[in-house]
Amino acid sequence: MQIPVGDYLAVSAALFITGAVGFLLRRNPITMLMAIELMWNAGNIAFAAFARSFVDMSGQIFVFIVITVAAAEAAIALAIVVMVFRRRPHVDVDDISIMRG
Amino acid sequence: MSGTLTTVPFTILFLPLFGTIVIAFVCPRFHRVAAAIIANLAIFGSFLLTVILALTVWRLPPAAQAFTVKYPPAWAAHPQFWAHIPPLTISFELRIDPLALVWMLIVTGVGFLIHLYSIGYMAESKNYRTFFAYMNLFVFTMLVLVMAGNFLWLLVGWGGVGLASYLLIGFDTDRPAAVAAARKALILNVIGDVGIMLALFLMYAHFGSLSYKEVFANVTSAGPAALNWIGIWLLLGAVAKSAQLPLQTWLPDAMEGPTPVSALIHAATMVTAGVYLIARAHPIYDHAPLAAQTVAIVGCATALFAATIGCVQYDIKRVLAYSTMSQIGYMVLAVGVGAYAAGTFHFVTHAFFKALLFMAAGIVIHNLSGEQDTRKMGGLAKRMPLAFSTFLAGTLAITGIFPFAGFFSKDAILDQLLRLHHPALWFFATLTALLTAFYMFRLVFLTFFSGAYRGEHEPHAARSGTMALPAVLLAVLSLVGGWLVLPGHDAVTSALASTFADRSTLESMADFNWPLSLGTLALAVVGFLAAYALYERAPQMRERLRTTLRPVRALLMNAYYFDTIYHWLFEVPAYTVASDFARYVDPEGIAGVTTGLARTTVHLGDTMRGWETGYLRRYGLSMLVGVVLILAYYLYVAHQGAALGAR
Repeated sequence: MQIPVGDYLAVSAALFITGAVGFLLRRNPITMLMAIELMWNAGNIAFAAFARSFVDMSGQIFVFIVITVAAAEAAIALAIVVMVFRRRPHVDVDDISIMRG
Repeated sequence: MSGTLTTVPFTILFLPLFGTIVIAFVCPRFHRVAAAIIANLAIFGSFLLTVILALTVWRLPPAAQAFTVKYPPAWAAHPQFWAHIPPLTISFELRIDPLALVWMLIVTGVGFLIHLYSIGYMAESKNYRTFFAYMNLFVFTMLVLVMAGNFLWLLVGWGGVGLASYLLIGFDTDRPAAVAAARKALILNVIGDVGIMLALFLMYAHFGSLSYKEVFANVTSAGPAALNWIGIWLLLGAVAKSAQLPLQTWLPDAMEGPTPVSALIHAATMVTAGVYLIARAHPIYDHAPLAAQTVAIVGCATALFAATIGCVQYDIKRVLAYSTMSQIGYMVLAVGVGAYAAGTFHFVTHAFFKALLFMAAGIVIHNLSGEQDTRKMGGLAKRMPLAFSTFLAGTLAITGIFPFAGFFSKDAILDQLLRLHHPALWFFATLTALLTAFYMFRLVFLTFFSGAYRGEHEPHAARSGTMALPAVLLAVLSLVGGWLVLPGHDAVTSALASTFADRSTLESMADFNWPLSLGTLALAVVGFLAAYALYERAPQMRERLRTTLRPVRALLMNAYYFDTIYHWLFEVPAYTVASDFARYVDPEGIAGVTTGLARTTVHLGDTMRGWETGYLRRYGLSMLVGVVLILAYYLYVAHQGAALGAR
């Protein structure tokens, strides 16, 4: 039995909304990073589903690229977060709004 | 071409510049006299080489006497190494021919004597080295002007002379009058530079070249109208540089410079450049009768105009300045009517006696601690015998007393005017000769006789040998310099023949018109007697004349109000417009626009910085909202038609 592409998209959308809501509501930077990861992977599921559906490999290839970029993003973001944690024990992202205009 | 004829002109040209550079960069470490020695050696070396070059060239057959050298010579086959914009190639080329050689000899020879004189005259100056560096620069730029092989390099020299004169006239930078005079000279000269530039543009349009050789070879290919315009624009340059009407006002003011500078400007460099330019461009003027006629009229008018002013002025140097203006007017008149040899001859003799007059006047001024007003002189003949005798020699030469130089050269011009059928010009030129005799002898009487000494300070007789020697040498030259042309013998015309070979005739000056010469001589004597009567014999008659001719005298004292007219015509409108700009347009208009722009930017920034809260979640929300909005636009607006069509 073939699972219709709409089901995949529904999972993807649910995942993305979870990630977006998590990013907007949580204040712990680590949790926010995880939320971002969720959004990345929501996109990945949609890419893979469409690739299967249209029998076109470019969607799959895009997934790899997204994974790579996500890894790079995570590395940089984690480095920043670690630096921030060194300065203060408890981190709330609202406290580090010193870069405001 | 032999090596001498290529390397020697180059060395002549660049020795004075080398002097300037050495004085500027090396001499400050040495004693101040080193600067004077280097400056003198540079000019003297230049002069010696010029003599050698002149002797070599004048021994060549006439056809080989005029030649052009391009530097470096090896590039002649590769025009693209120079500024090469086909069809125009502007190379660094020098033109050596008898006309240029005459000027080079005077520029370096008389220039050297003036340098020698400066050693003593400037001895008390604080900026001794600077002075000699500028003097060498002046000679260098003048040499560029007369040795140039194309009109562009002539313009380079032309502008350079203006710059050097600006530096030297305003040499006493602590005197506002000197600085103002320097600025005036520069501004009026730049008007002339623009005239020459316009002539250059026209030449490029009509001949596609700026080289003397090519322009003069193709001169007939342009119509007479074009040639007339070129001639008029060149004349504008000559008028500004040679202080002719109506751009003459800078020359009397230029007397603010030190006396050796005045001598250099008047005798060797600068003001004679206009005469040179017209003589140099003679193929153009020969085919542009209207322009040539204008030249002659301008020269004649200036000669008379300046002579009348000279009759009432009291500043010894100002009278000499007006006499220069008048004598240059003679030369311009001569080259305007086509008497090029006579004009050149008068340039040579004038260089001798005018440099001499300035040197003698300089000795007087020096010994009177800077006093220039003849009303505070008088009776100096016994106190300063050397200054008196040399000044008298110069006066006899300029007034044309036989057998001094001016007799021959001025008569040559007057004679040629009659031969070339210009009786009206001849009449005014002769009248000028009478006035010249009057005002020059008036100056002699005021300065050296007319009773006792009238000044407050006792004159001191400080006089160095370096000031006396050049004056004596020039006094001798003012006597014998005229003997280049004697009845039946005309060295000047034959020497210049190869420059003017393209003319069908160059009038010889050897054939004297004795009645005319004696008549002019008689007029000069009349001028002398008038000056003698008014300033020596009968001062009460002078007082009576002064009261009856009061308006005329006021007119002349103010030099026909040219300065006043120019003040109201140009300065006042310019200042008014400028001050109105400063008061209204600048603060309201320009500043309004710029500060308005700045204020808008600041407001915009203030508004936008409110968005930068630094809260990560808000940025995330903005991005989300943005994405949703773009998606909504994509789905419901932009692709509505397509989506409906697909259904």
